[in-house]
Amino acid sequence: MSQQAYQHTFDHAHLLGIEGLHPLDISLILDLADSYADATRAGKQLEPILIGRTVVNLFFENSTRTMSSFEIAAKRLGAHVVNMPIANSSVKKGETLIDTAMTLNAMRPDALVVRHSASGGPKLLSRKVDCAVVNAGDGTNEHPTQALLDALTIRRAKGRIEGLKVVICGDIAHSRVARSTTKALHLMGAQITLCGPKTLLPSGTETWGAHAATTDFDAALEDADVVMMLRLQLERMDGAFLPSRREYFRYFGLTTDRFARAKPDATVMHPGPMNRGIEIESAIADGPQSVITEQVEMGVAVRSAILHLLAGGK
Amino acid sequence: MDYIIENARLLDPATGRDEMGAIRIKDGIIAAISADASSLKTTGERIDAGGLCLAPGLIDLRVKTGEPGDEYKETLETASNAALSGGVTSFVVMPDTQPVIDGVALVRFIEDRARDTAKAKIYPAGGLTTGLKGESMAEIGLMSEAGAILFTNGDKPVTNSSILKRTMSYAASRDATIMSRPDETTLTGSGVMNAGALASRLGLSGMAPEAEWIGAARDLTLAEATGCRLIVDQASTPRTLELIAAAKARGADVFTTIAAYSLYFNEGDVDDYLTYCKVNPPFRDADTRDAMIAALKAGEIDAVVSAHDPQPPEEKRLPFSEAAFGAAGLETTLSALLTLVQNGALTLLEALGPVTNRPADILGLPQGRLSEGTPADLILFDPNKPWYCEREDLVSRSLNSPFDGKHLQGRAIQTFVDGELVASR
Repeated sequence: MSQQAYQHTFDHAHLLGIEGLHPLDISLILDLADSYADATRAGKQLEPILIGRTVVNLFFENSTRTMSSFEIAAKRLGAHVVNMPIANSSVKKGETLIDTAMTLNAMRPDALVVRHSASGGPKLLSRKVDCAVVNAGDGTNEHPTQALLDALTIRRAKGRIEGLKVVICGDIAHSRVARSTTKALHLMGAQITLCGPKTLLPSGTETWGAHAATTDFDAALEDADVVMMLRLQLERMDGAFLPSRREYFRYFGLTTDRFARAKPDATVMHPGPMNRGIEIESAIADGPQSVITEQVEMGVAVRSAILHLLAGGK
Repeated sequence: MDYIIENARLLDPATGRDEMGAIRIKDGIIAAISADASSLKTTGERIDAGGLCLAPGLIDLRVKTGEPGDEYKETLETASNAALSGGVTSFVVMPDTQPVIDGVALVRFIEDRARDTAKAKIYPAGGLTTGLKGESMAEIGLMSEAGAILFTNGDKPVTNSSILKRTMSYAASRDATIMSRPDETTLTGSGVMNAGALASRLGLSGMAPEAEWIGAARDLTLAEATGCRLIVDQASTPRTLELIAAAKARGADVFTTIAAYSLYFNEGDVDDYLTYCKVNPPFRDADTRDAMIAALKAGEIDAVVSAHDPQPPEEKRLPFSEAAFGAAGLETTLSALLTLVQNGALTLLEALGPVTNRPADILGLPQGRLSEGTPADLILFDPNKPWYCEREDLVSRSLNSPFDGKHLQGRAIQTFVDGELVASR
């Protein structure tokens, strides 16, 4: 833990996105998460800083992985956790997002973890409640805890983020991970190249802090330190945005041959769940340079750190 | 093999060359060109052209055959024979066959069949969408790698603009060229001939030119937005050309074509319900046709195609509204153009450019010009030779030529592909 990071205080009521964060905010979160990851690995109990606090996981979109990660992160700090998978619930029918927020607010939770299919949903909700709101993914806007866990995973694998050449490949247009991770890594001084089929590569990625956007994956991979593959949604595969799975794999699949263009010690990442044989070859996903399972581990640590900073101080 | 064609009028639209001279061919390549035959040394034969015109073989961007699926209409072999007879040495085959050419294996099938059965150079066009249904984009990248030279949805455009835009965007990123029929099909509806007084008198439903303008405007707009290279497949009115000229002026990478028969016929030829004159886009009125000839002279049309579409009698010997669209054209493209030269509407070089170097440049082909080091795909033709077109004399397997019974002037005498004499009369 650097001295500098602890002199900095985290002065945010919510975590709605990477946008608005200072590099020192990110360093502080990563340092705290790092200590949590080490402690958990060492089999130590974490200090129950959230004891007596209530964290509500409000998921308007299904995601067992992310919701479980938040649940474990909160419970490790001693919080009570209430999971509300609204996607399957009658709450969804008819009630507006603001009505749901007002109802929940009346129950006085300490933190609301929100996933919503509409970009800006958690932000709207944050204006109506008195507790901390953590964005667990909103539409095609942001997924800040994913970006932070990616940053932590990279920092642990490489010892730094600054100056690294990072390639993010896949469905950039519909990916909140690509947006948030690009913003976070850019803030921390990495050089990010976004890559994908032109139909899935939006314009204006320079506003996220991307160094370049290209359809040429082979060229993008040259001398890369980190290669992050994104999940391709099944409904985008067959003809709507690109011709076929095999054509996608031909040009954008991470194969052993193609990966050889990156630096010999390059790190491979994937936010999961993976489509093996479509965006990534199994040999690479399961290979020694893959940190895909470590990403999941860091996800819990980063989420503990976020809940600590937002709900632990009261 | 090494030989010289001498005493020929050399016509090369790419350079504007029009002079008597000789050409030396070695190993299928144009080895030397000279105004002075005696300066060319050869170990082989000397062919006296007898003053005939020597030009690059024709390159045709739009040919339909029936292979695979409808071989009774035309095969790659019979289309090749018809092409060579008409002086066409290279042509693009459309993907609307049965099955549709929408995958790598089918592109390779066309290439294999062309290599095994045809002497003309045949380039497969890939289907733009799977099954040409306009619903999902086909494997443009993989088909390009397999040799598909352009991508098209065939006779029917992709109606869903969102799908077309994404497909164009994807094609642009793979450096693929798209050819699309400019047609708002909901407006064309069940039309069978040019809309207007004649259609009204004949009691036939009309195909309004607005459908072409809306279609062209959409396609050009999306091509500009995505940076896609687009061939507007057969313009039939000057207003369509205005749209294309405006897009070009803004820097768009777009081109257009016209069917050779549309430079010859007009809607009046449909009179008496002549189904051989049922084509899409339809023959417009005589003034429109004359304006298109003027536009061709002005260079506003990039390429002239045969739009060869073989149809057997059972598809044409029907009431006009029930008959199939399409006309055989491979054997009459050159004659249709030379007739315009005879009329004084075009010079020889103006007539030949849109069927030689200009389509070659669109496709990035080395042939289509008389220059040293390029393939010796050549035609010797007599621009003045009168002939009477009788469909029974045509080489094509289907004989649905609107030129049946017409007196034409100018015809290919000998055709060479890669230096080999492949057709002569």
